[in-house]
Amino acid sequence: MKFIAKKPREGINVSDEHPLVEAGTLVVGLTAIFIVIALLLVFIVEIALYFVPAETEAELFWDWIPEDLVTVSPNDERLYRTQLLVDRLVDHWADAPYDFRVEIDDSSVANAMALPGGLIIVTQGLLDQVESENELAFVLGHELGHFRNRDHLRALGRGVVMGLFFAVITGNDVAGLGIKATDITVRGFGRKQESKADEFGLAIVHSEYGHVNQASRLFERWNETNQSTSAFVAYLSTHPQPGDRVADLRAIAERDGWQIDGEISQLNWDRN
Amino acid sequence: MENLSLFFNFGLPLIILMVAYFIGSTIEKKHFANIREREDALHGFPVVSFDTMPDDWNVSSSDMVTGSIVISLDYFKRVIAGLRGLIGGRIKTYEPLLERARREALLRMTESARTQGYDAIFNVRLETSRLANASRDGKGTAGVEMLAFGTAVKLKGRFG
Repeated sequence: MKFIAKKPREGINVSDEHPLVEAGTLVVGLTAIFIVIALLLVFIVEIALYFVPAETEAELFWDWIPEDLVTVSPNDERLYRTQLLVDRLVDHWADAPYDFRVEIDDSSVANAMALPGGLIIVTQGLLDQVESENELAFVLGHELGHFRNRDHLRALGRGVVMGLFFAVITGNDVAGLGIKATDITVRGFGRKQESKADEFGLAIVHSEYGHVNQASRLFERWNETNQSTSAFVAYLSTHPQPGDRVADLRAIAERDGWQIDGEISQLNWDRN
Repeated sequence: MENLSLFFNFGLPLIILMVAYFIGSTIEKKHFANIREREDALHGFPVVSFDTMPDDWNVSSSDMVTGSIVISLDYFKRVIAGLRGLIGGRIKTYEPLLERARREALLRMTESARTQGYDAIFNVRLETSRLANASRDGKGTAGVEMLAFGTAVKLKGRFG
């Protein structure tokens, strides 16, 4: 046998596809698959919502409070006043299935939440920033709108299924970008719910006061102090940008012929 | 604030990925060029995987020779392989890495044999082991070791 020296052959064990092509295909393809799965999960939540009527929910969660909630003292005057305001507003919602409860969260970030069982949480930060009862009434009306559209359960359900889904695929720490893209896509639906809740909130404020003056004043103020956010960032955030929100509310009031000036009710508690 | 979080969520991982890609692929290209050059220089040195010596080899001395390399993944390869791990298929970013490791290990073994004055190597074997990364409970991969070994022989007369 004769030995003939040969050079190693190239290209047998190594793919000649460009690594960036592979990277692009994987990232785009997987993101698309994630989004499809996420939309399917969202759809499943919708089906579940259909089979759990609001009355059943109200019964199940009638005294439920999140364990990590830090509330203010139950004797706080603002708590009492806010609860009274909610009760007055609910009078304009004919067959509300919930027995609404208000709790004040001890946080300085202005926010309000609708939670299962008719629990409305407003933060100290929000109460510090509202300057009239009309402003607060609109925020509360907006949360009532979430209850009416059952967005609070929807958000909860989505949180659970998305959390499970993401936990499965983040086992290997790299799917991050796809997950974020999916998250943003799903949040896109959230903005539609926000405008629907806004519409309901404005209607309730109109029924209560006979006008919608100052309903959006809080957002106007926020808009004046925060002008610089780009359209892309607006797309990413859960709530509509304050500026867009003010314009939308004005459009609704105009469409329905609601009076936009009227007497302002002051808040009946000490501002400190 | 929001622009900043946008940057940290999307911009930074992409920038790190791209930087890792450019550095990693430059190193890889250089390594392959270097491997080819050295393979050319060793052209004609018999390295075979027969487990018994060919009958016509008239040997004066022999010894075991080894060559090993420890090579690591770059971030880009790791990320793409991770995505591939979700759906399966050829991990194309790892293939050139292991190809480099195999050829480099063989080259080191052959170069060592040649500097010691041997004329050929037979019974060549390759072995791979994964180096665990302590940081993730030993589940991460710090790199792979490729070990080439064989029996180097000195011949009384050169091949005809």
